[in-house]
Amino acid sequence: MPAIFPRWTNNIPLVVALAGPVVGAGLVGGVWYFFSPKFTDVGYRPVQPVPFSHKLHAGDMGMDCRYCHNTVERAAHAAIPATQTCMNCHKDLVKTDSPKLKLIRDSYESDQPVPWIRVHQLPDYAYFDHRPHLAAGVGCASCHGRIDQMAVVQMSQPLSMGWCLDCHRDPEPNLRPLDQITNMAWDSALEKYDPKADSARVRAVNPPEHCSGCHR
Amino acid sequence: MTRVNLIHAALLGALGAGLVGCQGNRSDVPPVHLIQNMDFQKRFDPQESNDFFRARDCADEVAAEDAAVAEAVAKGEHPPLVERTCWARAMRPPPFGTVAVGHLKDDDHLHRGRGTDGRLADSLPRAIELSEALMKRGEQRYNIYCQPCHDYTGGGQGIATLRGGGFKIQPPSYHIDRLRAMPLGYFYEVITNGKGTMGSYAAQIPAEDRWAIAVWVRTLQVSRTKGGK
Ligand code: HEC
Ligand code: HEC
Ligand code: HEC
Ligand code: HEC
Ligand code: HEC
Ligand code: HEC
Repeated sequence: MPAIFPRWTNNIPLVVALAGPVVGAGLVGGVWYFFSPKFTDVGYRPVQPVPFSHKLHAGDMGMDCRYCHNTVERAAHAAIPATQTCMNCHKDLVKTDSPKLKLIRDSYESDQPVPWIRVHQLPDYAYFDHRPHLAAGVGCASCHGRIDQMAVVQMSQPLSMGWCLDCHRDPEPNLRPLDQITNMAWDSALEKYDPKADSARVRAVNPPEHCSGCHR
Repeated sequence: MTRVNLIHAALLGALGAGLVGCQGNRSDVPPVHLIQNMDFQKRFDPQESNDFFRARDCADEVAAEDAAVAEAVAKGEHPPLVERTCWARAMRPPPFGTVAVGHLKDDDHLHRGRGTDGRLADSLPRAIELSEALMKRGEQRYNIYCQPCHDYTGGGQGIATLRGGGFKIQPPSYHIDRLRAMPLGYFYEVITNGKGTMGSYAAQIPAEDRWAIAVWVRTLQVSRTKGGK
């Protein structure tokens, strides 16, 4: 009587024993690496409708972030500047008829918003407010990277819950003097800053680690 | 045989990983939300667009779209895909002339820089007190909002004025006799309403900070006339 299983099936247990762990580890590793916001989110760099460059305005010309994102210390949302803000310079003073600024001029005339594409976006169930962070002396660069070197804004941090908590559990290394929050070049390694010894601070910072702090 | 397959599989895996890239790669593809959950809820965030108001804000474009669709339908064709250029705001701009509670701005001195006689005031409004903190605030705000054009010392040679072919009109120095003679309220008024080619900064800077900046401008002037120079 012929064998029910051909001879090669003898190898199955061996192959499964050898390949199983490899495939399993590959799957786990793949999920760990590719499903992380460090992969899905970091580096997102949409093409904006107007080729506005932070490298030129904030980097080379050294404009303070708050000239344009002027609500950042006053509201949860760090507003994208109104067209009027660009027109302070581009209406009568400089590059007044650059083709790159056509959309800005159109928007100024028609009073329609410029359709800037949003780069950073938390899920709607997470609560974030710029104010307490800036009041505590966390710099823009800690969360947005070296914006002053970006010709096109890109996400440089994953904005994941783990990332928020890493800082909330140990905020001290990320704190800086309160008047340096928009200074992109401020380097904690060089400055040896001690928040506890800073007389401008009225209280110790206390970031929430309980769920309802960020899921309200 | 199995060894060759394994090598193939490994190569295929490596190729796949290579194709999708590494962590932190630049990309203009929006972040993938692997598990949607409640990431995007039926609500509007600040500065988002809202199609509900399109018919009103983008009447021209909507009419053009409707006409294009009607034409295609009449011809029995597929309606064309039109690229949008107009978006309606979810944050509705208030109707013209609306005044929010507590924002009547009825203090002429604080909000218009003018005294009861209607002339520009040369003093701070009563609600604001001259102090070191006020001057520090003024310096900081000046360096944010004015320094790009007027430079740190008020000479009118700010870095933005020197680039891209230069400004069509150079800001004046604060240290000319005409501006030295101006009352404090004048600087407040220029910041609030703009002057000539300089735009209004009322939307960017709250009234209290505008006074702090005016104080700093005066400080810069005084530093060159008394003691300095
Ligand atoms: C001259 C005005 C101007 C200045 C100064 C400026 N920005 Fe911006 N910023 C913009 C505009 C316009 C956009 C929207 C277009 C874009 O993303 O490039 C923007 C977008 C951004 C975004 C992305 C917003 C999003 O959609 O998630 C971040 C983050 C940001 N800016 C941070 C900064 C920081 C930090 C500084 C200071 C170093 C700064 N900006 C200075 C005008 C400015
Ligand atoms: C403080 C003045 C100032 C403000 C405010 C400002 N810009 Fe500019 N911008 C400049 C100057 C100066 C240049 C030219 C720089 C150069 O060429 O060296 C420039 C250049 C540009 C260019 C390149 C133009 C070209 O033809 O090369 C673009 C695009 C631009 N700005 C967009 C914007 C947008 C969008 C905003 C508003 C968010 C804005 N700018 C606000 C001063 C300003
Ligand atoms: C503690 C981290 C943190 C710091 C510090 C921080 N940001 Fe943000 N920023 C965020 C997060 C998170 C978002 C996304 C918010 C959302 O989706 O609701 C964001 C969004 C933005 C946006 C897009 C508009 C918005 O509010 O959604 C701009 C512009 C911006 N930040 C500018 C700034 C500037 C300028 C500074 C410094 C003055 C700054 N940020 C400091 C974390 C930070
Ligand atoms: C680089 C450090 C850092 C990061 C990253 C960070 N935070 Fe914070 N956060 C702080 C500090 C410091 C405080 C404490 C402020 C205080 O006690 O005055 C704080 C406070 C808060 C608060 C309390 C605000 C209040 O009104 O009491 C919330 C909510 C919050 N953070 C949410 C977030 C979320 C959501 C993220 C991630 C997207 C995040 N934070 C990322 C440093 C950080
Ligand atoms: C510092 C702020 C912060 C705190 C504290 C916090 N979260 Fe979160 N959480 C976030 C942010 C931000 C996200 C969105 C992360 C993302 O976009 O990947 C999130 C996402 C989540 C998600 C994931 C939803 C999904 O489908 O991806 C769950 C579940 C969650 N949080 C539960 C909790 C619980 C339970 C606690 C208390 C132990 C907690 N969180 C405390 C900020 C916080
Ligand atoms: C975008 C560049 C720019 C910025 C930013 C700017 N200014 Fe000006 N400013 C000008 C220009 C240009 C003039 C000359 C206007 C004219 O004569 O048409 C001017 C004129 C002035 C004058 C003189 C008015 C007169 O009577 O001749 C004063 C005072 C002044 N600015 C104060 C300020 C203050 C205070 C700020 C900060 C809140 C500021 N400016 C920000 C460009 C700027």
